[in-house]
Amino acid sequence: MTTPSRSDGRAVRPEKRSFIARWLADNGLLTAIVLALALLPFALALINGQSIASLVVNESGSAKFIQGLLIEVYILAVFAISYDLVLGVAGLLSFGHAMFFAVGAYLTGILLKNFGWPLWMTLLAVIGAGVLQALLFGVVLPRVQGITFALVTLGFAAVFDIMIKSRELAAWTGADVGLQGIPRPDLLNPNTQRLRFYFVALAFAVAVYLFYRRFVNSPTGRVCVASRENPDRAKMLGYNIFYFQLAALTIASITAALAGMLNALYKPIVSPEIASLGFTVDGLLMVLIGGIGTLSGAMVGAGVFRLMDFYFAKWFGENASFLIGVIYVAIVLFLPYGIVGTWQRRSISRRKGWRRLLWFTRES
Amino acid sequence: MNNLLEVQDIHTFIGQFHILEGVTVGAPEGGIVALLGRNGAGKTTTLKSILGLTPPSQGRVVFDGQEIQGRASYDIASLGIGYVPEHRAIFRDLSVGENLKIAERRRGDLERKEELIFGLFPDLKRLIKLPGTSLSGGQQQMLAVARALVPDNRLLLIDEPSEGLAPVIIESMMEAIRQLSGDSTILLVEQNFIVASRLAERYVIIEEGRSVKAGLMADLVDDHETIQRYLGAA
Repeated sequence: MTTPSRSDGRAVRPEKRSFIARWLADNGLLTAIVLALALLPFALALINGQSIASLVVNESGSAKFIQGLLIEVYILAVFAISYDLVLGVAGLLSFGHAMFFAVGAYLTGILLKNFGWPLWMTLLAVIGAGVLQALLFGVVLPRVQGITFALVTLGFAAVFDIMIKSRELAAWTGADVGLQGIPRPDLLNPNTQRLRFYFVALAFAVAVYLFYRRFVNSPTGRVCVASRENPDRAKMLGYNIFYFQLAALTIASITAALAGMLNALYKPIVSPEIASLGFTVDGLLMVLIGGIGTLSGAMVGAGVFRLMDFYFAKWFGENASFLIGVIYVAIVLFLPYGIVGTWQRRSISRRKGWRRLLWFTRES
Repeated sequence: MNNLLEVQDIHTFIGQFHILEGVTVGAPEGGIVALLGRNGAGKTTTLKSILGLTPPSQGRVVFDGQEIQGRASYDIASLGIGYVPEHRAIFRDLSVGENLKIAERRRGDLERKEELIFGLFPDLKRLIKLPGTSLSGGQQQMLAVARALVPDNRLLLIDEPSEGLAPVIIESMMEAIRQLSGDSTILLVEQNFIVASRLAERYVIIEEGRSVKAGLMADLVDDHETIQRYLGAA
């Protein structure tokens, strides 16, 4: 909507505050969360009696460890939000999303290790691969819908999964063992520059979130939402919905590939697990925990997923997976729209209730 | 022939079912034509066949001199054909304002039509920021009609506008449709014969997938035998 303040009948109040001040006021919660996450490593260092200086020179300790865990959360959050764009916003049932991520990871590893490409060229190649993957899915998109599209994408991903595990390509992909020994670029080395890597991953996740939010609220994004809800109605307004779905798919594919790239740079090994159906299901779980179609929910879901996985294993050992299963079932039962989704619905109905009350008192 | 829309003997299959077995409808520019008939006669399918949602396998659909059967529905829509589907077909995930905005075919359509739309449906102006889910049935139906007004449509296909609405809302809906017919040609599917007879100048009766009778509404109103036979009790 481009003219909200005009068409609701109220005059536009002259705004005295600057754009940045207004933006911060409108995005209070987001700003607070990002600030807290940015300050977290320093706070942890202080609690543990480390000095800030030791943190900057990358002394190991629990602050460094937590940074590592959160870097994984940020990478997964980007993976999850890109899945949410395909699934929750555009309404395309894709079961091949792990491939989007894995292509970025493997391509990064192979280009850096086997071909000795510099980081910036690798980055461009990953973006290019992201576009190509989306086009591959786009080829079948107008021909198959719904569950058939899910099966075709599952097929694509399965072929890729088999390929990277094959012996013939083991020299590049490492087959079952995974891709090892990726040279760490000096600029972004997670072992010697943990704090810098932490901020890069955080900035990446925040930038992706802001870009996605902007996209979904743009006219193009609105058509994606409309065609998810009812493709025929969108067509009757004159939209060739294929192009809109392809746009969403391309954005998701590029961001997932970039998340995969970051994953390859961070982890000591690119494991073939990230190309498996299991990883797509993990992404689905993150989206559902947080709330499908909410964007921020997918990121929250990724955090819950990874942190619960880690801490439950630490606290409860063998019982962890049982407990995690129980919690997921509870979330699905009691928060059917996910954590963020349920919370948003509640706040909408609260606002609606207030508005009704105000009308009632004014009209009577 | 100077009909804006000319549907000539179309046959339409849905799956293996032969739903339309020869429907012919002519709509002269600027008037309102009512499609009448019992439930399941094929009225909605006729609209969908014109729009290419269920493309006809035989016959011709001519709009403004060009044949449009077999084209993609988004192409057909962009020729200037608006559709108001039955059952309050709005986008529930979008706000009222977004529902209107998304119907723009050219930039600025909504701003040009704002006065017309909010003149016809003053309620919508007040509700502009609310999500589609929080509208009442009547408001949703108004929004569905309003959405078809945003672009410059030469032909409007309106399916069951009065369905499930309170009498007082039906009145304002009829008034709106009457005003619209000043700018566009309207093809109306309406179960409620009283509503249809007060709005339309012409009628086409569809019975079991065939158009069986057509003519001026003024003649039909007094033809109790036809009404009884094809429409049941009037």
